[in-house]
Amino acid sequence: MNGNVEVVADATGARDFLRRFIRTRSAVLGFILVVLAVATAVLSPWITPNDFSRTNMAFIWEPPGQDFVLGTDAVGRDVLSRLIVGAAVSLVVALSVLSIALVVGTTAGMVAAWKGGWFDAFVMRTADVTLAFPDLIVAILIAAMLGPGIPTVILSLAVVSWPGIARITRSLVLSLRSELFVDAAIVSGTAARTILLRHCLPNIVPALIVRASVGVGFVVMAEATLSFLGLGVQEPLPSWGGMIRDGLPALRSEPHLALAAGTALGLTIIGFNLLGDGLRDLLDPRIRER
Amino acid sequence: MISRKLARSLVLATTMALGMTAAAQARDLRININADPEMIDPITFSALIAGDVLRNVYENFTKVDENGKVLPALALKWTASADNLNWRIELRPNVKFHTGRPFGAKDVKASFEALLAPGSKAGLQLQYLQRIVGAKDVQDGKTKDLVGVKIVSPLVVEVAFTAPDVLFPIYPFMFFDTQVVADKGPNWFMQTSAGTGPFQFVSWQRGQNVQLKAFKDYYGGAPKIDGLRFVVVPSEETAVTMYEAGELDVLVPASTDLSRRIMRDAKLKAQAQMTPNAQITFLGMNQNLYAPFKDKRVREAFCISIDRDAMTRGLFGGLAQPLYGQITPGIAGYNPSVKKIAYDPERAKKLMADAGFPNGRGLPPLKIANLAPFRNEIAYYADQWKQVLGIQVDLDIQERATFLRSLNAGETPFFSWGWSAGYPDALYYLSQVWHSKSPFNRARYSNPGFDALIDRATITADDATRYRQYHAAEALLLDDWGTCGLFMRTAVTVVKPNVKGVVLSPMRILPYGKVTIN
Amino acid sequence: MTAYVLRRLLGLFPVLVAAIILTFAANRFVPGDPITIMLGDQGGNVVLERKLRAEYGLDRPVSVQFVDYVSGLARGDFGLSFRYPGVPVTQVIKDALWISPLLAAAALTLAIPIGIALGVLAALRRNTLADTGIILILVAGLSIPNFALAAFFVWGFALKLGWFPVAGWTTWKHAVLPVVILAIPAAAYLARLARTFMLEVLQQDYVRTARAKGLSERLVVWRHSLRNVLVPILTVCGLIFGGLITGTIVVETIFNIPGLGRIAIESIFARDYPVTMAIVMLFTLFYAVINFAVDVLYGLVDPRIRVEAVR
Repeated sequence: MNGNVEVVADATGARDFLRRFIRTRSAVLGFILVVLAVATAVLSPWITPNDFSRTNMAFIWEPPGQDFVLGTDAVGRDVLSRLIVGAAVSLVVALSVLSIALVVGTTAGMVAAWKGGWFDAFVMRTADVTLAFPDLIVAILIAAMLGPGIPTVILSLAVVSWPGIARITRSLVLSLRSELFVDAAIVSGTAARTILLRHCLPNIVPALIVRASVGVGFVVMAEATLSFLGLGVQEPLPSWGGMIRDGLPALRSEPHLALAAGTALGLTIIGFNLLGDGLRDLLDPRIRER
Repeated sequence: MISRKLARSLVLATTMALGMTAAAQARDLRININADPEMIDPITFSALIAGDVLRNVYENFTKVDENGKVLPALALKWTASADNLNWRIELRPNVKFHTGRPFGAKDVKASFEALLAPGSKAGLQLQYLQRIVGAKDVQDGKTKDLVGVKIVSPLVVEVAFTAPDVLFPIYPFMFFDTQVVADKGPNWFMQTSAGTGPFQFVSWQRGQNVQLKAFKDYYGGAPKIDGLRFVVVPSEETAVTMYEAGELDVLVPASTDLSRRIMRDAKLKAQAQMTPNAQITFLGMNQNLYAPFKDKRVREAFCISIDRDAMTRGLFGGLAQPLYGQITPGIAGYNPSVKKIAYDPERAKKLMADAGFPNGRGLPPLKIANLAPFRNEIAYYADQWKQVLGIQVDLDIQERATFLRSLNAGETPFFSWGWSAGYPDALYYLSQVWHSKSPFNRARYSNPGFDALIDRATITADDATRYRQYHAAEALLLDDWGTCGLFMRTAVTVVKPNVKGVVLSPMRILPYGKVTIN
Repeated sequence: MTAYVLRRLLGLFPVLVAAIILTFAANRFVPGDPITIMLGDQGGNVVLERKLRAEYGLDRPVSVQFVDYVSGLARGDFGLSFRYPGVPVTQVIKDALWISPLLAAAALTLAIPIGIALGVLAALRRNTLADTGIILILVAGLSIPNFALAAFFVWGFALKLGWFPVAGWTTWKHAVLPVVILAIPAAAYLARLARTFMLEVLQQDYVRTARAKGLSERLVVWRHSLRNVLVPILTVCGLIFGGLITGTIVVETIFNIPGLGRIAIESIFARDYPVTMAIVMLFTLFYAVINFAVDVLYGLVDPRIRVEAVR
């Protein structure tokens, strides 16, 4: 992973990076999809055509048409509006999860790498044990204790995400320790915290960005799965996973709900994955074209 | 297991292909249930799905036909004494239990004693025994002998009451062979069948099915089918596909969504039976658990914010009618002049403001609880309350058994629910659901005037007078806005054309004893 | 080698211990008193309450309960279900026990050849349209959640085309859509890995040498490259199988298959904690054991491990 250090330290690297990024078609596609999803989420208070929880007894299961672009659901709610607000819900959850996981993970990884000894061993063991549980199982465990809901989703996904980040951070910091400029800082008596935050962190950022962008896709997928199972986002807040669950029984005569939510979900996660893959291909020297 | 099924379906397919449809088929009738039965033993019996299953296994003094008329079942004749404190019941001869032993007066007494025994966890039936002389002593453990029940002869029993209980013979008991408890222990109901009904219990594979088999020695004639299989299918879409694929013979929808879909599908509609469902629905507003509900104006505001007409037209697609009271049409004691509830958003807003919650401000957080098949109803109510009253009501979708248990414990502050008639008289609704002493008064509503009227009604033998007392009690309940009716659903059942004898009554599907499959 | 195996076995230990402690804790420190819930409308019945508490062993000190729990686990006794009073948990889950691993195994069997084939193909046709096309398909397969895939598949293959039943579990046809949907993300993951490894291997010296020597392309691919790709693929299978097992949770719910996954979800909503925890334990066990087995297999196959002294 030393290559990352070189990339960022090089001033012209950023321009070069951008050029290569644009040339990778899939990464650009991913970027577009992600921007679409994020824009939808951010602009949701203004672009929803109808109130997402407004029921309408006269328009139950309307097919897509003039009044309701994507049709209505079982209680006459506008599917398009729910889809848009669902974007906001999914992304807010994903953002929360990633924020927590990044903060906890990088802190744990950095301190573990720096301190070493029993703390390092403890953090790594905890990370290993956490990773040994399949992610959905952890979510089920927490859901059984806390009950279904957004806090459950955020907590369980954060618990599952931090070990990976901690591992990366730790190995990066360990390799950085042997770098010259870090040595110089230590010798000149700089405090550990300054070294970690001012010198190491910027060099870790590219790897974290890659990790985060791939991670968002996973978190969105996991949250949708939990909402689909009924453990996640609860009514009346819409969520794509929940909409698919509501739409499945009507698939034969009114497929528009399940298919619309499924498409939105699929495209968003594809976008994040393509973007993440693109970033990783560009930043990880091992896979680069020879 | 798969290969046996495959073999059977192959044989079936070949048979049908060869056009050999003349002879009636002796096989299981398959019906869907959307969750496991809540219990499978007659003592703790208290819930709907269990009732649908157990009605085929256990019987009562009387039964009901598709028009709600009371007919003899295990009892042939019942006469009340002049002072109404005594019922003389003559039982049907030559009735056998599934265990092989004969049914008689001793079993009536023994069943009652088993229900009353301390620690029995008895369900619905316990209430019907409260007025029998000596019942309290048995419940308190002072004695095992229920003195109020006298075995006059092997087939005649006389029951004495502390106060008149005019509807005693139509109470839905479930008589079982109590000897089986001594034979098999307290979990006997999982291993053996001890009723008198046309079908015997065979097995319950949790999450999969409940299997019953035909009882050859049934007094009404052995069923012409092999047995009943109640298949647990939580997903309604799956149930429809299974029905269309021939894996179910009878399709019973739970949600309104599915009922609508059935009626819009030409093929399914042609095979559907419909009947108004003798089931009241109501809003449960527990005044002890949510303080604002103590104010009558708040209760009324919630009730009149719902547009019942729009709901029955839209959500139910016409498969329901608005319900204004707490008695359903067609049930003895119904009041055709019950006051209608008009959809009045303006008045609702004013009431809330008068009560000190203008536009919903100041109200503590509120959730309405119900089950997944009924999420659309409560989504609609919640939205109406938001639009009209400005109140944010969250939806609390719970799992069935958990929901029922917390309802029974009186721990649910706000819910919408229903109550199906167990016997064809309005007393069932009024006394079970709204009398303060009933364990099934899930909203824990308490109105002494109402209680007094109901208490008086249960001892009034004259029908006309009693019905007037029902009307008065209902009026008290409704004027106080203790609750409000919501809707009365039209029950829909889809039956394969080659299956005859499935009878959908207002009180759910009658026992399948006379079904034939061609 | 034995040292390696022992070390791996030792690594299993903390996971299992953590699982046991976590599930026990979750069982005890849940919201609400399960006995009160079970009593329901019999809430005031003290005799019954005491009886139930004794039956479930909840009237003893926590430490005694824990010891009992662990010794019970050793015997395969997971305690009594809350939802079905008096019924042992083992009885609730025993019929479902074989279904989830079977689905996962079937999906894996489907995913491995398809995944490897796609990945190798993409690597061989690198940077052509075929490569890009396959990559996009793979990303889609990995990105679209299995229940969304199910929505599309059921709509297309079951409803519109009528080739397969929508749901249920009585004939072999009922297994097709669930297994296919489970297999897709696994196959996509394997394909990407296979492609990456294959690309690396194709760059290796000995492959270039073989090409220079004029050996046929087919020989180059099969003899020299594929074998080296298979080993890393194998090690990932453990991870994938774990993912498949959890994937069965969603698939069983959609297709109404009476497996462990569906019971797990139902038991959460029914607040049947003993059952939930038992299934959590079992899934974790599957996962850990599979990973352990794969680790050992890897150790057997990779000579570097066999010879290596201390990591």
